Amino acid sequence: MVVLSAARWVRSRLTDRFWRVQEVLKYARHFRGRKNRCFKLAVRSVRRAFVRSTKARREKKRFLRSLWITRIEAASLEHGLKYPAFISNLLKSQVELNRKVLADLAIYEPKTFKSLAALAQRRRQEGFLAALGDGKEPEGIFSRIVHHH
Amino acid sequence: RYVRQLQRLQLLFSPTAADARGARQFVEEAAQDFARQHPDVVLYVSPHSGQGPAPVLRAEYLNGTVREELIASKTSEEIVQLATKLANQSGLDIIRIRKPFHTDNPSVQGQWHPLTNKPSILTVQGPRLKPQ
Repeated sequence: MVVLSAARWVRSRLTDRFWRVQEVLKYARHFRGRKNRCFKLAVRSVRRAFVRSTKARREKKRFLRSLWITRIEAASLEHGLKYPAFISNLLKSQVELNRKVLADLAIYEPKTFKSLAALAQRRRQEGFLAALGDGKEPEGIFSRIVHHH
Repeated sequence: RYVRQLQRLQLLFSPTAADARGARQFVEEAAQDFARQHPDVVLYVSPHSGQGPAPVLRAEYLNGTVREELIASKTSEEIVQLATKLANQSGLDIIRIRKPFHTDNPSVQGQWHPLTNKPSILTVQGPRLKPQ
């Protein structure tokens, strides 16, 4: 609002205080203790909560990746494979599925996961044969690499 | 074929209030063009004489949600932009979507349970077999 002299400005009162306070308190309603009711305490808590939520976005990626790895490890152990063997042999057979998809397959499509574990196991055996039995045996079938041009 | 989710737009303003000047200019100049460009939206113009509530543009959608936007002290162009924005929206709530995907059938082969990869002798019940 445009005021033409200082005298008029001094007479105006702040009428919005309730809503300005509620804008902050609405983010503090689920807190514990007095900081969900009292504005002075809530301002500090809400600011810290926002800072923590922005910083936690980087941690969330790490946390979810380790969760997926735990799940894939449990599923592959059910089929008799350890996690490093499973992942490395899948990569060597050019199956480039990421850990998120592998974890979802292990939960919702157990038969597909079993076939992937069998593929990794077969590639592992062919790797052993190629490394140990050097010589006349032919190369393994699943060790062939497909080149995309 | 595209079905516009906006059912009707109600323009509630008073013909004498000072902050409804943009609404009055919109009704005089741009309302007809807007109605012609959006033939499947019904535009209601209802002036309430005297000192009513603040001028408001109410949008009702096919799924029942009603969205009210204040148009007090807005120019006619801004009201046109607001109206096109409301016309292009659907009536879903504007909140954070937790996941950009959703399935009703997440599992095709049957969800994993602790007995999926165990030998079936554990659960089979027959006339002589008992589950171990």
